[in-house]
Amino acid sequence: MNKFLTIFKSEYSQVVKKKSFIVGIILTPLFMIAISILPAYFASRDVAKSTTYSIVDLDGRDLSDRIVESLKRYKLESDSTIESYNLKEIYRLSANESDSLKELRFYLDSLIQNKALSRYLVVFPNAELTDSVLMVSKSMSFKTVGRYNRRISDILTEKRLENSDISMGIDTVLNMTRRIDVIEESPGGKSKDFMTTYFGALIFVFIIFGSVMGFGQILMRSVIEEKNSRVMEVLMSSVTPFQLMMGKVLGLGAANLTQVGVWALLGAGLFFMRGSVDISSQVAGIIFNPVIIVFFVLFMVVAYIMYSTLFALIGSICSTDKEAQNFIFPITMTLMAPVFLMMYIVQQPDSLVTTILSFIPVLTPTMMMARINLAGPDSFAFSDPIILEAFIGLFVAIIFCIGLIWLTSKIFRMGILMYGKRATLPEIMKWVRYK
Amino acid sequence: MKAHLELQGITKQYGEKKAVDGLDLKIPKGCIYGIIGPNGAGKTTTIRMIMNIIVPDSGTVLFDGNPVDNEFKNRVGYLPEERGLYKKMTLKEVILYMGRLKEASAKDINANMDIWLTRMKLIEYKDKKVEELSKGMQQKLQFITTLIHDPEIIILDELFSGLDPLNIELIKNVVLDLKKQGRTILFSTHVMEQAEKLCEYICMINGGKKVLDGPLSDVKSQYGTNSIHLEIDGDGSFLHTITGIESVTEYTNYYELTVSDSVQTNDILKTIVDKVKVKRFERIEPSLYNIFIRLAGGEEALKVDASAGEGGIR
Repeated sequence: MNKFLTIFKSEYSQVVKKKSFIVGIILTPLFMIAISILPAYFASRDVAKSTTYSIVDLDGRDLSDRIVESLKRYKLESDSTIESYNLKEIYRLSANESDSLKELRFYLDSLIQNKALSRYLVVFPNAELTDSVLMVSKSMSFKTVGRYNRRISDILTEKRLENSDISMGIDTVLNMTRRIDVIEESPGGKSKDFMTTYFGALIFVFIIFGSVMGFGQILMRSVIEEKNSRVMEVLMSSVTPFQLMMGKVLGLGAANLTQVGVWALLGAGLFFMRGSVDISSQVAGIIFNPVIIVFFVLFMVVAYIMYSTLFALIGSICSTDKEAQNFIFPITMTLMAPVFLMMYIVQQPDSLVTTILSFIPVLTPTMMMARINLAGPDSFAFSDPIILEAFIGLFVAIIFCIGLIWLTSKIFRMGILMYGKRATLPEIMKWVRYK
Repeated sequence: MKAHLELQGITKQYGEKKAVDGLDLKIPKGCIYGIIGPNGAGKTTTIRMIMNIIVPDSGTVLFDGNPVDNEFKNRVGYLPEERGLYKKMTLKEVILYMGRLKEASAKDINANMDIWLTRMKLIEYKDKKVEELSKGMQQKLQFITTLIHDPEIIILDELFSGLDPLNIELIKNVVLDLKKQGRTILFSTHVMEQAEKLCEYICMINGGKKVLDGPLSDVKSQYGTNSIHLEIDGDGSFLHTITGIESVTEYTNYYELTVSDSVQTNDILKTIVDKVKVKRFERIEPSLYNIFIRLAGGEEALKVDASAGEGGIR
């Protein structure tokens, strides 16, 4: 026990004293925020405050004027953060002047290339019947395209209604045919939208991935280094392989928890100061759900022990970093599985496939974490199927960990004394059987 | 002879190959015990089994009559042939860590640390990193980490490899002091001259089996006094043609001859004197080197390849 503690302390302090540890504590959350929140933030935000457009009108009626009027109103109706659309020019051509149209479009394209114009529309003859309006632009902002779609559709509907014999006022009809966005809520009445659910689930998977890969590889390298520098032989004359392995796994695990602990404190600070920092209450509600936090800590510890044991195993059978790199790729893929599958999991959090995947021990920590996030449970009541499944998953993963540690300790004790070449599979099988 | 450390029929097999095969050893307390043998003879495997790093397939290792366990590791200092220390740690940290792993108290370690560092002329590097030391200095540091917890049994595998004569002298004196203090020292090497100078007991293993065992003087007399130390001016290539000379071992500056019992050494001397100028002709005990070659390579090896230059230099 003493020796285990000596190794534990040494491994812990060696990592915590490193500059990279401090830098990691600061940079990792920034990086995670950057990759998980920024793209969504930018996508939802208007790119420019004001853009210009021109219209090429081949229709010859008043469609262009109506479009201009309608787009002008945008500024008035909506809040000030939305971009305004400024008309530059309306070119009126007759439909049979195809050469001039070609020339004009060539000219307008060059204006767009030179950033003198943001976009132009081509309104084809009888657009309300042919449904043909063309928009040429370099930027494909979803929001802008959406607005043009809506406005132009409304104007064409208006035109169609004028030509019909409906007696109601046109505005009345338009109002009656308006479309809405469904308000999304999860069971229990908490409001949520796709983006927060998606990225909320991802954040936890990323934290597990980041810390497990980071500390796992530190462990793997330290084993390889001790083999290469032959410190291993000296260590083995003092401690048992099991003491060494567990001292390393748990010592680095403590360093990992220290790091996550600092992040948790930062997160808690952010949560209590959320008035002054601009975080949506929905994001905060998902991340700071105590049930989720508890499961997160449990699954992170299990994931860490499982994968760092695997890394110890890899370190013990390899003699160079390069050899070991071959094993990193499959581990990365396994840990990242929920990220690749997230689109599916979000849509089918309780499907048979998702459920089965989340009970494969190497996938359990990250998959369960993603599913718990989507379900957003309020309490630890077993009546909630996700809670029951999460606990079963935890149990399965722990049993798997114990088996893995047993197997690894058998291989580790032989591997660490083998220098110069990587162990072959038959050799490893033999080691497992040695007493 | 009461054994301090006893090996009873230990065997270790890797695949088809028996690395160590039924080895029996009795190592008395307070002596320097040499384990010699060619590369791959099973020395390191034997030591690893003594250290309980690997478990024998059969047989036991007894320490004061009890099977060795992990607690035994604290009472042994082991300097492996393949050396290594944490390059990024300071000398102080390495010594403390290695000592703590043997469950010595930090207080005792710190008390002994300066004494050892001074003796090994490393005291001014105490707060430097290991990687800043020269290779010889790292060897001495490793030697300190082997002894810092004041072990009862000290296992030294190829102790002197890579050291200059000054450092060899320094470390040899420490080893002799340790013996005077009653420590038991297990000295493993394939360099016979070192074993011959230091060890009181010798065990030779080859192919995982013991081929020779006992006090050095007994071992030598067992191989008779029919060895002759010969120094001549000129070419000695005719020596093996002389009747009565069984083998010739050529060293850089002299020859070691083995003669058959039936022959008068005077007759041999006469034959040699006729051909070259003799500077020295002396009846001696056979060198360990010679015995080693005879046992490890068989008589054939000795006769066919008598030009054992390299070993002679050492």
